[in-house]
Order: sequence, then structure tokens, then C-alpha cells
Amino acid sequence: MHYDVLIVGGGIAGMESALTLGDMGYKVLLVEKEASIGGKMILLSKVFPTLDCSSCISTPKMAATSHHPNVDVLVYSEVEEIRRREDGTFAVRLVKKPTFVDPSACTGCGDCELACSVAIPDKFNFDLVAGRAAHIAFPQAVPKKAVIHKTGTSPCSHTCPGGVKAHGYVSLVRSGRYEEAFHLHMEDAPLPGSLSRACYAPCEDQCTRGEIEGKVPVRAIKRFLVDHYYENHPEPEYGPPGNRNGKKVAIVGSGPAGLSAAYFLARRGTRVTIFEAGPEAGGMLRHGIPPFRLPREVVDRDIRNVTALGVEIRTRSPVASLASLKARGFDATFLALGTMEGQDLGIPGTDLPGVYESMDFLAAGNAGNRLDVEGKRVAVIGGGNVAIDSARMALRMGAEKVTIVYRRRRAEMPAHEWEVQAALDEGIELKELRAPVRFHGEGGRLSAAEWISMKLGEPDASGRRRPVPVKGSETTLPADAVVLAVGLRPSTGPFADEVERNADDTFKVDPETLATSVPSVFAGGDDVTGPSMIIEAIAQGKRAAFYIERFLEGKPLSGIIFDARLPAVEQKAVLDRTTEGPSLRAPSEVRERLAGERLRSMDEIELPLTEEEARYSANRCLDCGVCSECRQCVTACLADAIRFDMRPEEKTVEAGSVLVSTGFRLFDPARKPEYGFGQHPNVITAMQMDRILAPTRPYNAVMRPSDGMAPSNIAYVLCTGSRDCTIENRLCSRVCCMYSIKQAQLLMGALPLAEVTIYYIDIRAFGKGYEEFYVQAKGMGVRFVKGKVGKVEGNGGGNLVVRYEDVSVDGKPREAEHDLVVLSVGLSANPDAFGFFQKNLLAADPFSYVKEIDEDLEPGKTSIEGVFVAGTASAIRDIPDTILHSGAAAVQVAAYLEGRRTGR
Amino acid sequence: MGEEKRRDLGEVLRDEMVMKDRIFSLLRDEPKTIPEIAEALSCPVREVTLWVMAMRRYGSLEELPKPRAEDYFRYKPAR
Repeated sequence: MHYDVLIVGGGIAGMESALTLGDMGYKVLLVEKEASIGGKMILLSKVFPTLDCSSCISTPKMAATSHHPNVDVLVYSEVEEIRRREDGTFAVRLVKKPTFVDPSACTGCGDCELACSVAIPDKFNFDLVAGRAAHIAFPQAVPKKAVIHKTGTSPCSHTCPGGVKAHGYVSLVRSGRYEEAFHLHMEDAPLPGSLSRACYAPCEDQCTRGEIEGKVPVRAIKRFLVDHYYENHPEPEYGPPGNRNGKKVAIVGSGPAGLSAAYFLARRGTRVTIFEAGPEAGGMLRHGIPPFRLPREVVDRDIRNVTALGVEIRTRSPVASLASLKARGFDATFLALGTMEGQDLGIPGTDLPGVYESMDFLAAGNAGNRLDVEGKRVAVIGGGNVAIDSARMALRMGAEKVTIVYRRRRAEMPAHEWEVQAALDEGIELKELRAPVRFHGEGGRLSAAEWISMKLGEPDASGRRRPVPVKGSETTLPADAVVLAVGLRPSTGPFADEVERNADDTFKVDPETLATSVPSVFAGGDDVTGPSMIIEAIAQGKRAAFYIERFLEGKPLSGIIFDARLPAVEQKAVLDRTTEGPSLRAPSEVRERLAGERLRSMDEIELPLTEEEARYSANRCLDCGVCSECRQCVTACLADAIRFDMRPEEKTVEAGSVLVSTGFRLFDPARKPEYGFGQHPNVITAMQMDRILAPTRPYNAVMRPSDGMAPSNIAYVLCTGSRDCTIENRLCSRVCCMYSIKQAQLLMGALPLAEVTIYYIDIRAFGKGYEEFYVQAKGMGVRFVKGKVGKVEGNGGGNLVVRYEDVSVDGKPREAEHDLVVLSVGLSANPDAFGFFQKNLLAADPFSYVKEIDEDLEPGKTSIEGVFVAGTASAIRDIPDTILHSGAAAVQVAAYLEGRRTGR
Repeated sequence: MGEEKRRDLGEVLRDEMVMKDRIFSLLRDEPKTIPEIAEALSCPVREVTLWVMAMRRYGSLEELPKPRAEDYFRYKPAR
């Protein structure tokens, strides 16, 4: 794309130049980094000395710029590089930042902002009030389109294998929107009750709050919202979808992967039948996890989330072959068989009565069958979570003594540390560095076990030190029962002849699409990954559903992105953006029943958070990615404009010339700590006061930020950051005197009883009508005190004490009390433009503004031929001077372009 | 009303999402000024100012007319 002129910066200078050049017939590209053009002028209350409404002047220019046939406006975009070519034109590289809102669909209604659950400082109101992550820049924004502030995916949401938006539901719980939180979860994973009990919560491991005083208890928050929802909705609120697509899919296995695939397929109108070999649905959820960790009624309710969609689950229905499914008219099959079989320990005696496979042991216990361990000594062999569950189950079945025997040490146990500790708390013994050699029988059942001591050798493939038997250390001890929990293997045997498998008996699949070697057959879950977490199995089911649906629609499986999350936000960046550092907020304890009490029943061990604890805990979230992806904006947006798949878009354009109108920066008053900005809430900047006085103000009236009181005694401190060698800025900012006088007059109109005092060094009223404006203020009763302010301090009651040198009287230090102090901050150079060009080609003047090579005779010309500057990017100017300078610069650009065109 | 230790602005603003329900239910009984709300909630008045202004901005609260002689507006749930 070729333009005659690239203008960088959409403030009043950029707009004025664009309009002038556009009117001359030049094609202009105006690039603005914010979401709206208008710059700082649109944010002002009124302009001096006429007291005309700033918005009334700016908005017609904004609209004219936006609609000009020769001007293209690109907002929310950053210039990355401008390179001058040998032919004198410019190659421009820029990035359009993602707004996550389709501007062509957005109507600017603001409903997304009302629905948003993430509060952030409103930078267009200079932090005086909260805005929302989804927002319209300000009421008169042009274009008036919403933007979602999102810096990346929050680490918790990014790490979830199932793509569950942990940050999203946490932010909804924080704001008390529990049902919405539940629905958000259901968008990504269908078994929230089970996950809220038995997920190992990788989200929590990534929580930035964990770097402070403790991670946010995301899983416990989920449990709170799920319990709340299930209590209010014993049955799902929905039924089968109306839009059936006529396709049928068979799913073999009703564990989390199968249920997940069924849920996502059925939601989109596919008829799904699940074939379950066992008597009840749920797979590992029902058979592998004890009810004291995951109650059966929660599993049942979770499953009803799936069956409510019309999914049929046929229990006691083993599938003999894939061919039999094909013959029954299924268009595709998903194999989700899980890992329900134990690994063979390979030692003598494992077939003796009294020696149990862990999954058989747990399944029997979970089904309520009494196991023959009452009053007996039970050894559980293994170090994973299944071993821990088996040991705790044995204890609840009345075992006299339960010992976990592990061949490495506790620190190397794959089980989660808190699970190990919970088992020990219940009285289970742990024997480290020991392994079975053989089991002895007597009278037809287990009577003793022979053990050997182990020592740790070199690390193995898993990184853990390999256990090595200690020769001669064998001992034989009496044993009543042994549970083998040394690993699980996939139950893929029935399909070994039909579907290609790996050496470890898992199905061989395309890792992206989960397609097997057999057309129309997909596989996922533990029978592909090996033993994994519930959420990983759910993720596999979700992925399979996505690709099965494409298969059913005849679409290619390749060339499509299934999971397009933004990169995770870095924790350091989150911590660095806090101004004062987050307060320490102790994590809520996730309580459990007392060990002695819980052993007497299968009742759930973990206790739920109270509502207050859940919201408190959710409020500890730091909103790492800013937008939480709670998707309330999606629900609220009737125009369907929200696009979370939007990504930064790099653009390259050509331009015949460049006009820099990047404006100025306001002086940061924190650099003058003696004035108390940032320390006392009632010390504000004049820009903040302009917002308070503006029609689109953050408050309902002029009031002070500390307590909402209408101020009655307001001070202005002129030359804050101007004419001040202590902060290396000896320039006069030219506008501070007049904008302060303007504000004083407006304040006296808004607060007729208020006193306004302006502390000044000199009043510089140099422009047309300025002196009269000054005199008018004095006539209205504004008090002018000639004296340099040295310090502003709090008086402990919200008011402020201004200490100053009273030059107009006797030069002695004095002090005065005010209830609001306004710092008339100066203007500083904006260095942004220098970064656009390579090798410091764009020259700066001694004050770091863009240098005009001859500001008297050639205003607007810079050190680079074809590059011009307009407005306050080159020097401090008031609005009339900025507009005048912009016109001059536009004419310079036109002359340059005409010169190139005609060859003169 | 003493000087209060300032918390991170982002953190204070986030608290609105939790505090708004408490403020809303408090004002259902009777309109209150910001200092009165702060006292009732035992929260720093500056923080309450931020929450009340955000709630007003997003339509939860509205102010009652204020006589010129009074220093503070009273706020009530928006109709």
C-alpha cells in the first residue's frame, strides 16, 4: 500500500496536518497508538482563554479525520520502523495491536464494558477511577469501538491441558457471578465437579501469587462454584440440542476422555453412544478414585451434564470389534479405554489370593464391596497416587495396619506430597527403599512377603535416581494382604488386531488430530498418553471431538489450529507492574476433616470454602493477563464482535514522506517527591483536574479523591517540572499558567464558595487574550501568591500543608493549609519518534525534542529529508500554536512532495 | 480521618468486585456519604471513594442532590 504521507500520532497536530494534506488531495495514513485519535486535547475540559468546550472543538476534527476520503486512520497501532529508501520513499513497518473486538461489527454500545469482570485503572482518566479490561477508550472516542486489554494468557489458564479458563472463573467468583463461572467452565470441560475434587491443579503451580505469600486455591474455588451450582441445579438446565447434524459417533469407554468427547460432539448436534464394558459409567472417576476424595454423587451429577445432551451410555456393553460398530452405522469411533489394568510386577506369587491389583482393589472398595482386609496387615506397593488411594481405602476397610512400601525415598514418590502427608496423618506407615522379591502362600493364600532393601544409584530416564537392590538384604515378613500399585497399562488389548499400537500398548495416533491407523477411528485419553491426570484425559476428548467433527463434515484435519491460546504472561512482568507491591493476603486454608474422624467413613475428606473464603481467595488473583477471558463480553455483545483469536498484525506500507506528530509527555510529578504526589491522595495533577472538570468526568462533581468531599480551598503549584534545574528541565512549559488560570475560573464556577490560590514564580500570559484572561481570574477572586513552593505535606486529616517562600511580601517561608493541591505539571519531550529511525538519523534539539533544522524559515523540516515534524513533538506549544505549526508542517510536506513529483 | 497507607492502585480497584455487593446492600437501607460507607465497612475512605465512583460509573449507584452547604454527596442504589 502506498501513501503520499505517513503521519505518526493522532493528536490535534496529526489530525490537523492530515486534514490539510487530505484536502490538498494527498493520500494520508494516520497511525495512532491508542484506541482513539484525539490525543490529549480531547481529554481537556475547556480551552483557554475562550473557555470553549474542548470536546466541541476536537470531536468534529476527529470525525472529519476519520471520514476524510483521502485519510486512512489506523488506531491501536505502533510504528516499528521507518526506513528511507534510496529512491527517497519510505518503507514503514508497523504493528496493529489486537483489540480482540471486530471493529466492523462493534457498535460502540459499551455493553461489554458493563459486563466485564476485571477492573483496571482508567488511563484516560489518569487513574482517578476504575475502568474495565473491556472498554471504550472514552465516550467521544473515534472510532468508537471497544478494546479488550489483554497482555497474554494468564499462566493458570495457559497451563491447563484442557484449556479451562481458570483466571476467567476465578474473576467471576470474585465478582459473585457463580453461575456464570460454572457456565464458563462448561465451555471448556464438562466434568467440573470431578475436577474440583480430584484435579491436581497444574494451574495452581503456575499462579503468580505463589511468588508472594501463597498461590490462589484455584481448585477449591472451583469446588465452591460447582457446589453452589449443583445445589441450585440438581439437574442440567439444558436438553439435547435442536440442531442435529445426522451423524452418529460411537465412543468406547466412559471415563473422562470418553465423556468429554461425547459432550463436545453432542453439543454440536452429533448423536453419540458410549459403550461401557463395566456396570457403571465414569471409568477412572468412579472406579479409580475413592469416594472420600471424589463422592459418587458428584460423579453422577457430572455425567448428567453429558447425558442431558442426549448422549446414550450403554453399560455392560463391551465392544467386540471396530467392524461391529461400523456395521451399526456409526460414522466415526473414539476409543477411550483408559488404563484400568495393573502392570505386572514380574515376581512369583502375585497370583495368590490376598494379592490385589490396585485398580481391582479400588474398584471393589469404590463399589461398596467389603474387602477382606479387616483386622489385617496390608502392604501397598508403589509410590504413586493410586498407591496412596489404595492404602487409605484399606484403612477405611478396617485394616489393622497399612504400610506403603516404596523402592525409592519419599522425596522421589510420584504421588503428590500433600497426598502422602495426608496418608501419614491417618496413621499409614511408609517404608522407603524396599521392594518385594516374592510372595509366599500358605493354605492357598498369601502368608508372607519377601523383601529386599534398595539403595539409590545413578539417575534413570525420569531423572530420579535408579533403585538398586542391596545384595543379601532379603527378609521375609508375615503379610495378610498386598496391594500392587506399581503402574497401570492401557486396556487396548481387544483392538490389538485392528488398530496400530505402540510398544507400551498405547494406541498409535497422530498427536494433533488423535486419528488412529484406521480411517474414521480416533483414540485419546490414557490409552494414548498412558496414565495421566483427569484434565489431560478431558483435554484429549475435547481435541478428539474437534477433529472428529471436522472428519464428519468432510473437512481436512490438517491446516487448522485447535488450541490458539496467546503466550503466557511472564510472572515477573505481572509483579513489576504493581506500583506499591501487592499487599500480603494470607491464603485461605483448604480444610479437611480431622484424621481420626475421617477414618470412620467414606465421607469426603476435604471441606469446602465458605462463600466469603471463596471470594476472598478469588480476589487474591493478580489478573496476570489483565483480561481474564471470563467471556461475559461475548455473552453481552449482541453484535457478536468479540474475537479472542485476534493476534498482532504486522503491516508494511510505503510512504512518500513522513510527518511526526507524536506530541509531548506530561512531567511525572513523582520526580518531585517533596510535592507529595503519590503519597497524598489529595495531591493531583492539573491533567487530573481537567478530567474532573470535564463533562465526561470520572466523578459526579468536583470532589477530592481521598474521600469525595467537595473541596473548598484549592491550591495550584505552578512550574511543577518546568523551569526547574533540579530535574534538568529549565524550559518553561508555556501552558501551565494559563491552564491553571482556566481551571481556577472553572472551579469558581463549579464551587462558588471555594477559595483558589495559585502559587507562581511568574505568570506568563503572552498570547492573544491571555493577559485579559489572567486579569479576569483575579477579578473573580482567584488568589495569586508569588512564591516558590518547597514542600507539600499531609496534615494527618486529609488536608495538605503547602510550605512556600512568599516572594511578594517579604521572602520569608510561610505555610498554608488546603484541602486539595493541584500540581501544574509541565510538558516534556516524547522520545518515541527517535526509535522509528535507524542510527539516530532523526536529530534531537538540546531539550530532546525533534529538531527542526531551521524553525524560523523552514518550520517542520527535520534532519531527514522527507521527514517532517508537527506540533509539540518539536517544542512546547499551546493549542493555537500547535494547530498553526501543523498547518505549516503540512505545507512543507506538500512542497516536498510536489518538488519530487515535478523534479524541482 | 488519618493518612492511610497506600495500597497498589490495581489491587484496590480489583477489590471493587468484592466490595460492591457489600456497598450495595449497605446503601439499600439508607443513602450514605463516602466517609459513612467507609466507617460502616471499616475500610479506608480513599479506597471506598474509588469503589463508589466505579460503581456509579457502571450504573450501580447514583448520587442524591447535595445542598451547597454540605461537603459530601449521598449515594444510593441506582434505579
